[in-house]
Amino acid sequence: MAAIARRASPRSMLLRIVSIGLPPALVAACAIALWYVLTITIYKGKGFLLPGPQDVAAAFVENGALVFEATLTTLKEATLGYCAAIVLGISFAAVLSQSRVLERSFYPYAVLLQTVPVVAIAPLIVLWFGYNDFSVVIISLIISLFPIINNTLLGLRSTSRTLVELFAMHHTSRAVSFWKLRLPGALPSIMAGLRISAGLSVIGAIIGEFIIGSGNSQGGLGVQIIFAQGRMYTALLFAEVIAATALGFLFFSAVSIVSNLLLRHWHESASAD
Amino acid sequence: MLNPAPAFTMVQAADSPANADLPRRAGAVSITLRGVEKQFDSGVVALQPIDLSIAGGEFISIVGPSGCGKSTLLRIVAGLIQPTGGTCERAQNATAAFVFQDAALLPWRNVARNAELLMELEGYPLSERKARAQEALQVVGLAGFDASYPHQLSGGMRMRLSLARAIALRPNVMLLDEPLAAVDELTRDVLQEELSQLWLSTGFTALLVTHNVHEAVYLSDRVVVMSARPGRILKIVDVPFAFPRSPELRATPEFARLTGEVSAALRHRE
Repeated sequence: MAAIARRASPRSMLLRIVSIGLPPALVAACAIALWYVLTITIYKGKGFLLPGPQDVAAAFVENGALVFEATLTTLKEATLGYCAAIVLGISFAAVLSQSRVLERSFYPYAVLLQTVPVVAIAPLIVLWFGYNDFSVVIISLIISLFPIINNTLLGLRSTSRTLVELFAMHHTSRAVSFWKLRLPGALPSIMAGLRISAGLSVIGAIIGEFIIGSGNSQGGLGVQIIFAQGRMYTALLFAEVIAATALGFLFFSAVSIVSNLLLRHWHESASAD
Repeated sequence: MLNPAPAFTMVQAADSPANADLPRRAGAVSITLRGVEKQFDSGVVALQPIDLSIAGGEFISIVGPSGCGKSTLLRIVAGLIQPTGGTCERAQNATAAFVFQDAALLPWRNVARNAELLMELEGYPLSERKARAQEALQVVGLAGFDASYPHQLSGGMRMRLSLARAIALRPNVMLLDEPLAAVDELTRDVLQEELSQLWLSTGFTALLVTHNVHEAVYLSDRVVVMSARPGRILKIVDVPFAFPRSPELRATPEFARLTGEVSAALRHRE
C-alpha cells in the first residue's frame, strides 16, 4: 500500500505531547511568575489596577456560578450568530458565484459590511431589535459573516480549469458541477473562513453585550465585565476576561478539529500542526 | 448505447499477427476533420484549416512545438471548443474520454470513487459503476488501492488512475493530452507499454498529443507533425511496425530512421 500507517506507540505519543506542550507551558509559568512579582513590587497595594494571580483565582472560586452562567449565555449567543453566519455566508457566496454580474453587483456591499465598524452600527441594531439577546446574536452574525462570504467565494472561484473541462466533457449540469466539483473543491477555503469567523463570533457577542449593557440582569460575559468594572472588582474582571478568551479559543479549536476531520484526506490543508 | 464492450485483458507482447486481424478494428469510431480552423476572440489564429481522417481504431499522435494549437485541436475533437470554421465529424453514439496532463483527480475522493466519476456523471447505475471501476483498476494495476487517496499515490499511479477512470467508461474514442509529460522517464516507458496494450485490447480510437517524438512513433499508426502557430499539418508520417510492439523496437535502425524523420519535419521551418 502507498499509505503507510504510522501508528505511534503510547510511549512515543506521550513524548510527542510533552515536547509540544512543554515549551508553551513554561512560557505561561514564567508569565504568571512575572505577574506575581509585579503585584508584590510595583503594584503593591494597588490590587484594583493589577490584582495578583491568587486574587484572580479567588475571584473565580467566589463567583464560579456567575462566571459560568455568563460564559454559557455568551456561548449560546455566539453559537447562534456563528451558525446563522455560516448558513447565510455560504448561501450568499454560492449565489454570487453563479454569475459574474451578480458578483460584481453585490460583492462591494459585502465588503462594505466588513468595513463599517461594527461598534458603530451596534447601537443601531439594538435600537431596531431591542435590548435583548437577539440583538447580540445579530451583531455576532454581522461581524463573523464577511470572512465566510469572502473565503467561500474565493474557493468556489478557484476550481481547477482542467476539472471544469473534464466535467464539461460529460455534459454535467450546473447543479451537479456545483455539488460534485465546485463545493467540495472550495471546502479548504470555506473552512479557513470558518476558522477566522469562529473567534470573531465570540468577539461580536461580547461587543453586543457591551452595548445592551445592563438591560439584562443576568447577561453574558460582556455584561458582567461592565458590571465588574463599575464595582472596581478588577480580580473578577480578570477572571471574566480569561473566561472570554478561553471561550474564543474553545470555539476556534472546535472548528479546527471539524475542519481537520473534513479535510484529513487532502494532505496539505489538513495537517496544520 | 455503447458498442459491445470488449473484456479487459492484457495482450502479451509476443510475436504478433498483422494489424488488420486485431480485435481493435471492430466497432471502432472514425473521426473526420474537414477544414477545421480556430481563431480566438483575441484575434490569435490558433489553427489554419486542418484536414485529417482518422480510421476507426487507429492510434494517431500529434507532435508539434509548444503553442502550435495541438491541444486546441484535441479540444475541438472533444467538443470542448467550437471551431471557427470547418467540421469535426464522429459517430453520434461515440463515447469519448479525455485524459489530461495533470491527472485531474478529485483529491477528496478515494481511488475507487475517482475511478467511478465519469460513469457517475454519465448516469450509470451504482452497481455497474462499482463493478467497472474495479475492473479498470485491475487493468491498470491499482487493484487493492481503492481506499487510498490521490495524495498518497505516486505520479505514475495517479496517471494510471486517470487512465482507469477513462477506460472504465469504455470509450470508443480516447483523447490524450500529453498524459505522460509529467512522469519520470522510467515510469513513462512502463506507462507507454501499458497504454499500447490497453489500446490493443480494448479497441478505442486514440488521439494523442505529445512532445515526445519517440513516444509518438512507438505508440502510433501515424504521426501528425504540426507547425508552430498558426498550427497546420506539416507532414503525416506512417509508422509501419506491427502491433503489439516490443520495447526492443526502440533500439532498431528502422525506429531511429522514423523518429529522425519526424524530428526533421519538426525542425523544418518555412
